[in-house]
Parts: sequence; structure tokens; C-alpha cells
Amino acid sequence: MRQLRPRLVVTFHTTSGAIAAEQLCRRLGLEGKLISVPRRITSDCGMAWSAPPELREALAARLREAGVETAGWYELEL
Amino acid sequence: MREKSWLRDYGLILLTGAAVGIAALVLTAAGNPKNMGFCIACFLRDIAGAAGMHSAAAVQYVRPEIIGIVLGAMAAALAAKEFRAKAGSSPACRFLIGAFVMIGALAFLGCPLRMVIRLGGGDLTAVAGLVGFIAGILIGVVCLRRGFSLGRAYPVRSGEGTVLPGIMVLLLILLLAAPGLLKFSESGPGSMRAFWCVSLAGGLVVGVLAQRSRLCMAGGMRDAVMLRDFRLLSGFLAIWVTVTIGNLIQGSYDLSALSQPVAHSQYLWSALGMALVGWGSILLGGCPLRQLILAGEGNGDSALTVLGMIVGAAFAHNFGLAGAADSVAEDGTYVVGGIGAAGMTAVVLGFAVLLVITLTHLPKKEEN
Repeated sequence: MRQLRPRLVVTFHTTSGAIAAEQLCRRLGLEGKLISVPRRITSDCGMAWSAPPELREALAARLREAGVETAGWYELEL
Repeated sequence: MREKSWLRDYGLILLTGAAVGIAALVLTAAGNPKNMGFCIACFLRDIAGAAGMHSAAAVQYVRPEIIGIVLGAMAAALAAKEFRAKAGSSPACRFLIGAFVMIGALAFLGCPLRMVIRLGGGDLTAVAGLVGFIAGILIGVVCLRRGFSLGRAYPVRSGEGTVLPGIMVLLLILLLAAPGLLKFSESGPGSMRAFWCVSLAGGLVVGVLAQRSRLCMAGGMRDAVMLRDFRLLSGFLAIWVTVTIGNLIQGSYDLSALSQPVAHSQYLWSALGMALVGWGSILLGGCPLRQLILAGEGNGDSALTVLGMIVGAAFAHNFGLAGAADSVAEDGTYVVGGIGAAGMTAVVLGFAVLLVITLTHLPKKEEN
């Protein structure tokens, strides 16, 4: 069985925000993947970006530069 | 370090699916139409009829299941401190999409939830609906991939979030204290109903569990396709399995495409109707059941979507857009039901409307 690992989870106000983040990270070669927003964060059923926690600063800077609005930043074991 | 737990990931959603399936079986045994223990589209259509918004005498009743779902979701959200009033995400477009989702569902004769319940009863005509629903979801996923968005919702005063729950309380009061103000079917599906307490209790249980688990028929397939996440889809499958087992135990499982309860065998338009539902649900961010749950959590946009669905149901019956069930004529010939020219035109118009809404809510070139 796979071990839970600490992950940075970034949530967005819209699904299009999550998809824009995915496209940006793919283009920049930043590791991560789209996931369903974890239930413990919200009862909304959108998408979130999951990345290694050490990428937090780089990711925040890149998303800000690209004008992708985020809703929340969380560190969770996933 | 902790390990991933299958039970933690899938336990609640499977429990919710099983509970919805059992509730559907119990409500059917208690009086609801066969293969219609729960149907969000049919029950909102019945509410529209009870309020005099359409005059189809066979489908008029204030369904306490809908009241229970909204109030159950609200209670669960309040208890978990998850009730948040918000609105402002393209409300007029959501109203319109809701109306056409309803027209598509009534062309097929059921929402995605009833589609699963029909499949669980052995209704093979519902397979066409399933194929169309999946196709519609895939179209919606392409739209999401291209950046479709109705925009974000913003926090609003809590009163905005209580509008649909308030309407539900009012409907319950009318049903119990002033039924003379409402219309009640004396024959047809609207006349087939469980005792109101049983219906309300079933709705409350489903509302609470669906709020906790985020059960969504359309979201399950969207997540499976886009994220390879099968949690929500497992809830959909749990309903199907539970209803199938329940019908087999009760001896009411009828694997056939003929003479199924409140169903028709006009396969192409069943598929197209549900494709409209699937596409619209992805644009809205959830199926009709999910819209009720979100409205219960305080989402004013979803409340307006539900009102759009009620208006869509009224249009569907006032203008002859809804499907008719297959029947057997007096001379014994089998009469295939389905939708007529007006219904076909409305479904095609629905695709055109969704296309226009999609194209006008894609990012502009410079935003890419």
C-alpha cells in the first residue's frame, strides 16, 4: 500500500483556474498534477493542483506572474 | 508515516451510493412510481405542476424528497460549519442552462440519478441515455480543457444562501397546512407517492450524505476522465449495484427494453436528451442532484439553476416538449412513445444555446 506523502495543494475559485495552473506548470516543467479538491479542505467539488511542498515559492511566483488567481494554499498528506 | 486507506477514500461515497439506492427502493415500495424512487428532474417537474406552472394533470405534487434533500444538505453544512452564502457566477446563464438540462432530462424521462435507478431495474432503454450522458460529459470536458468558465462566485450576505431552503420550507408548509392551494395529480406518476413523512425522511438522509460525500453523477465521470479519480464514480456505481440487488431480491428486476415503467424506446432522442444533460451539468459544475446540495450549502447560483430547472419543466409540459412513455393500445399494439417535433426542436435548440454559452465563456486569445 502506498505511503501518504506531504503535498502542497493549491485551490482555485474556478475549474478554469486549476486547468490554467496545470498548463502553466507543464510549460515551465514544474512537477505536479491536477487532483480533485480534498474533501477535508472544502465541500466544493472542484479541482486543485498538487505539487511537492518545496515548490511553494516558485509556484506562487509563477501563478502570480501569469495572473492565475488562487483560493487557498494547504500542506496535506496525500 | 501513514498509509493510504481505501476505506478512508471510498467508504463514505460508497455508503452514500448504497443509502441512495436503498432510499429509492424503499420509496418505490412505499408508493413512488416504479424505477422512480428518486428523480430530481421528475420531482421538480411535479413541484412545478403542483404550483400551477404547468397543466399536465398527471405530474403534479409537491415532492417532499426534494425538500428533504435541500434541507438535509443545509443541516449537514451548518453542522460542519460549511454553510457559505455565495453567488455571482453568471447567474442568468446558469438559469438558462438549468432550464435546458431539464428539457433534456424530460426528453429522456429522468435525470442522471433516475437513469441509474432505471438501469438498476433492468430498463435497457436507459442504456441509450447512459451513452448520451457520457458523450455529453466528454463534450463538457473538452470545454473545460479549453478554459470554459462561468466565472467565480463571491461571498454574499447569508440571506442570499437561504433562498432555496426558504422556498422549500414554504412548500412544506403549503403541503401540510394549505394543500388546497396546490394541485395534486389523481392519476399518473404524480398520483403515485409515498407517505410524505417517508419521502421527507428519505430526502433528508440523501441530502445529508450527499453533502458530506459530494455525490455527483456528472462529477464522477468528469473526475474519472480528467483526473483518473474514481471516487465520485464509485458512488454512481454503488447506486446501480444496490438498486439492482434490491430489485432482484424483491422480484421486480425486469431486464428488457419493452414496457418499462415511465420510459420510452426512442433511443436516439433519449441519448440526445441525456447528452444535453451531461454537457449542461459539466458547464454548471454538477448534476441536478448536486445543484440541490450546493443550493442547500448556501450557493445562490445553484438556487437559481434549480429555479431554472423548474421553469424548464413548466416549458417542457406547456409546449409539449417532454417525452411520453411507451404504452400498449387497447388493441394490444405496442406504441412507442418519446418526444415529438417540438421536443426535438427544443433539444437541438438546447445544444445551440450551450454552444453559444460555451463560446462566449472561453478565454480570449490574449488570455491564453
